[in-house]
Amino acid sequence: MLEHVNEIVSVIASYNHEKNRFIPYKMRWRLRDYFIKRLAYHHKIREGRSLFHIFHVTDGNLDFRIRFDTESLNWILEEVSDGSTD
Amino acid sequence: MDLPINTAAPTIMHIDLNSCFAEVVQQANIQLRGKPMVVAAYPSPGGCILSPSIEAKKLGIKTGMRVGDAKKICPAVIVRESDPEMIRDVSGKFMRICHDYSPDVAPKSIDELVINFAELDDYHKKSLVEIGAEIKKRFLQEIGDWIFCNVGIATNRFLAKLASSLHKPDGLDVINHKNLKNVYSSVGLVDLHGINVKYEARLNAVGIFSPLDFLQAPDNFLRKQVFKSIVGHYWYLRLRGWEVDDFKSERKSFGQEYSLGEKTDEAEKLTALIMMLTEKMGRRLRDSDQTASGIHLGLLYDDWTFWHRGRKFNESLYTTQELFKKIMILFREQPAKKVVRKMAVSCFSLMPVADQTLSLFEDNAEKKRKISAAVDKINDRYGEYVVTPALMIKSKKTILDRIAFGGLR
Repeated sequence: MLEHVNEIVSVIASYNHEKNRFIPYKMRWRLRDYFIKRLAYHHKIREGRSLFHIFHVTDGNLDFRIRFDTESLNWILEEVSDGSTD
Repeated sequence: MDLPINTAAPTIMHIDLNSCFAEVVQQANIQLRGKPMVVAAYPSPGGCILSPSIEAKKLGIKTGMRVGDAKKICPAVIVRESDPEMIRDVSGKFMRICHDYSPDVAPKSIDELVINFAELDDYHKKSLVEIGAEIKKRFLQEIGDWIFCNVGIATNRFLAKLASSLHKPDGLDVINHKNLKNVYSSVGLVDLHGINVKYEARLNAVGIFSPLDFLQAPDNFLRKQVFKSIVGHYWYLRLRGWEVDDFKSERKSFGQEYSLGEKTDEAEKLTALIMMLTEKMGRRLRDSDQTASGIHLGLLYDDWTFWHRGRKFNESLYTTQELFKKIMILFREQPAKKVVRKMAVSCFSLMPVADQTLSLFEDNAEKKRKISAAVDKINDRYGEYVVTPALMIKSKKTILDRIAFGGLR
């Protein structure tokens, strides 16, 4: 089941300068922590002048689509999916 | 003219991503992997399936089916809408990787391309099979671990495409003069690119029932009796591995279409939608640095009747306003006011902006064009529809971003 959330969340991310990788690894949403196990895909979106980084990640049970706004530095949880039929 | 089978070493590589839209969604959503899922234009039962996953294909779900029909085959099928931004990102990476191997890369669609190695001789110091395997590996490492592709290698584009379809979803095949007949004996006529059911019937009518029969048909027979044109000769060459498809097609029109979520006959709503479609079409026209002098409008009504009209004008059209005014002339010519379910606009008779003759009577034309180009630049920088015609205010973002099927030009 896919749920469109669009809520601001707290995220801890890490940057590895050797691999030049930036990965969110913990997200707090509705007072619950989700530990991100895997980054499935990362891409960028431009909306006019604004640049967003989209991270598709999973904690092993749920898939999350998180958007990082490079202008406001906000993290928005856009979608949550458990991979079941709607 | 009788020609033998081409015995040259293969230099053409055809690569296509499998079930691209579905594969991309599965790449991003790990929980969807290995499950029957489809990407559809809309998730509602009437939504058209754009791409079924490999798992869904195995159950018999096909592109073009309705979501409701797919659910009858597999009630547990998962339906998702496409993610155009992500598909474009994957496609961009796909193109960039392939450009590392040859400067001659021709995209055929968002998920399909042809690499020509003809001019490179042995620059890579590797066989094409090794390069194909390396590209497949790089897709998995650099794009995503669920991005599988088919690679086909042959002496021409037609056979390379056929080779890429032999072992879906993760194949790498070569067709050359040694195995050509074996391959033809293992496939049907409709497996050949360009032969559909109608063509198959036409071939059957002249005694051609298999690709092998097709291969054995003489040039004269194909040209004079089967196709009754030069097309028969092209097929004769194509089937023998000679290249006849190495050309770039020229764009002849730009068009947009839209299926109305809420069918209506209200002129105000329809006008706003026409403006939105015209704006999208106009942006693409201006992006190509061309003007159009022909306009076409098509309307599919709720009673499934279709009305369309196209016209050429003496002036060249460039700005959204110019295009819109002409489309509205056609819109007003509808014989009856009916509820519309789908509309399409297009412009044709394209000409490069640089070749235009300025009008003696319209001294503001150049100014309007510059304003239009400036507005496009603002929208490029600050986001789509930041500056729009007033008519579009209520309908912003009604028309979703879509990736078209078919060729890229």
